[in-house]
Amino acid sequence: TKTHLGFGDGPKPKSMVRAKRWSEEVENAFRFQTAGYRDEIEYKIIKKSEPERWTVEPGYVKKLQRRDGTYYYYNRARECQDKEVHKIKLYQY
Amino acid sequence: MSAAACQSLQAQGFTLKAYMKNSKVVGPPSAGAFEERPAKPTAFRKFYERGDFPIALEHDTKGNRIAWKVEIEKLDYHHYLPLFFDGLCETVHPYEFFARQGVHDMLEHGGSKILPVIPQLIIPIKNALNTRNRLVICTTLKVLQHLVVSGEMVGEALVPYYRQILPILNIFKNSNRNSGDGIDYSQQKRENIGDLIQETLEAFERHGGEDAFINIKYMVPTYESCLLN
Repeated sequence: TKTHLGFGDGPKPKSMVRAKRWSEEVENAFRFQTAGYRDEIEYKIIKKSEPERWTVEPGYVKKLQRRDGTYYYYNRARECQDKEVHKIKLYQY
Repeated sequence: MSAAACQSLQAQGFTLKAYMKNSKVVGPPSAGAFEERPAKPTAFRKFYERGDFPIALEHDTKGNRIAWKVEIEKLDYHHYLPLFFDGLCETVHPYEFFARQGVHDMLEHGGSKILPVIPQLIIPIKNALNTRNRLVICTTLKVLQHLVVSGEMVGEALVPYYRQILPILNIFKNSNRNSGDGIDYSQQKRENIGDLIQETLEAFERHGGEDAFINIKYMVPTYESCLLN
């Protein structure tokens, strides 16, 4: 079941680009999108809190709460594999 | 008494029959060191079927992640961690996936809560290693490597229990496939048991403090130190 994207009160993205190569920004986007959010901005609007991050550099997202209340945990190191990079959406506002 | 029998008799070794002229001693029966010993149904499976785990069963999760109903930081490690370790014996999906991933998540986020639970983890670890099932052993070794780095002093806390978990490693330590000069892809995927054992013992030695090496050497005599000389 596809989760609904973008019914928050915040800014709506103007455009979307698909990621071509992995980067730290892509990694964070991957983590949010796996949990069912567009990106960090939407998460902060819906959950009204900062996502918990790892204290080790480069501080990727550690824990996210999904819309159904369950929690997803992510590793310290990169999790997004090369073959999934092209599925990640990067939104511009 | 068949006096006219000219065929050789089969006899077990070290018996009077073996001394007879026509008898041929058969070799000893196989001891079954490498035979798989399936584990009995685990407590993990029982609890899982009852729905006692704080895990949401999802069928549309993208790949390899568990959705936790309760935050891991709030879980009672004394209760749940040994249960998840118990599930390492499982070979069937989805029990095997949830046990492995659950252990990984709990070790990753446990911090100081892991150390007090170590004594309760030893029996499940021993049971998993005793199944002699290659995949289970590989998973357990990777879990052990994660365990010793998961919290402070965990490596040292494990040293007194080496004599319970290391003997089985002796049996598999040399099971490296000799493929000549071909490529062994199982090494890349970290599924070659001999190499995994070596990696695990090195991790034990690195994080086990001063007494670690001598204790490992006592249980696995062919192990050579990676820190000294």
